[in-house]
Amino acid sequence: MTANVNAKAKLTLGLAAITFADADPDVTPLYTSAPVSVDVKARTTAAGNVVLTVLASGDLDSGSSTIPVTTLTWAATGAGFTASGANNSTAAQTLGQWSGSGNPSGSHTLSLPNLWSYNTGTYTVTLNYTLTAP
Amino acid sequence: MRRRTITAALFVLALVTGRAPFAGQTQNATLNASINGQARLSLSSAALTFPDADPDTVPSIQAAQGPITLTAKARTSPNGSITLTVQADDHLRSGVNTIPASTITWVASGAGFNNGTLSAASAQIVAAWTGSGARSGTQTFFFKNLWSYATGTYTLTMTYTLSAA
Repeated sequence: MTANVNAKAKLTLGLAAITFADADPDVTPLYTSAPVSVDVKARTTAAGNVVLTVLASGDLDSGSSTIPVTTLTWAATGAGFTASGANNSTAAQTLGQWSGSGNPSGSHTLSLPNLWSYNTGTYTVTLNYTLTAP
Repeated sequence: MRRRTITAALFVLALVTGRAPFAGQTQNATLNASINGQARLSLSSAALTFPDADPDTVPSIQAAQGPITLTAKARTSPNGSITLTVQADDHLRSGVNTIPASTITWVASGAGFNNGTLSAASAQIVAAWTGSGARSGTQTFFFKNLWSYATGTYTLTMTYTLSAA
């Protein structure tokens, strides 16, 4: 009998959409999302490097107005998750890293400074999460 | 002979599948941030007082509080206009005696701030800017001190309005 155990990767995010509601910058100087759960399932070689990255589609965009996506930061909890970081649209940022097969899980929150200098609008960005297992 | 061939073929297949080079999955999350119009104004002093003085020696009395600092914070559309105005509710009044509100003038400092004269008839522009941001400046008030005034303690209320278009 032969059992084939191939590399597999499955990523599940608790939310597919995150919304920051408008707020007075003096009262709420930092927008913070509810925790977004991240469930990772990966099968890889012994001590294979499982990596979860996030890459933004661009800056937060509302017509001609933008907010730098590098000001959109995260704080994460869970073994193997990068405790804090800033999003980037040019280079994927490592949100988690593990050695070998397993099913780690954690959560992360996203934060954005709420500044008076922003132009009014509804700003959008897409965050692309990629899980890889060699 | 045939059975050996099959066994070898299975072994090779297992080796090939065991070396699957890569597995990956991508998920997207969309983030929306609503930034609406907001305006907030703060003054360093809510009261101004002009002390009594001899009109010959002090023809223009400066408010005892000195310069008051105004901080205007507003969020608007790109190139949207932000305006700060002030208007008196009435003339300076002490019982039946009045002094025109226009006897009060101010000298301003700070980007976007203007000097001006108070009016009870129409709002006067204190400052104007383009685009979102937090700005601050000062107003120093002066009262024209004339011999013709009847004695009394005169009062009026000034209303500041910060608006973002």
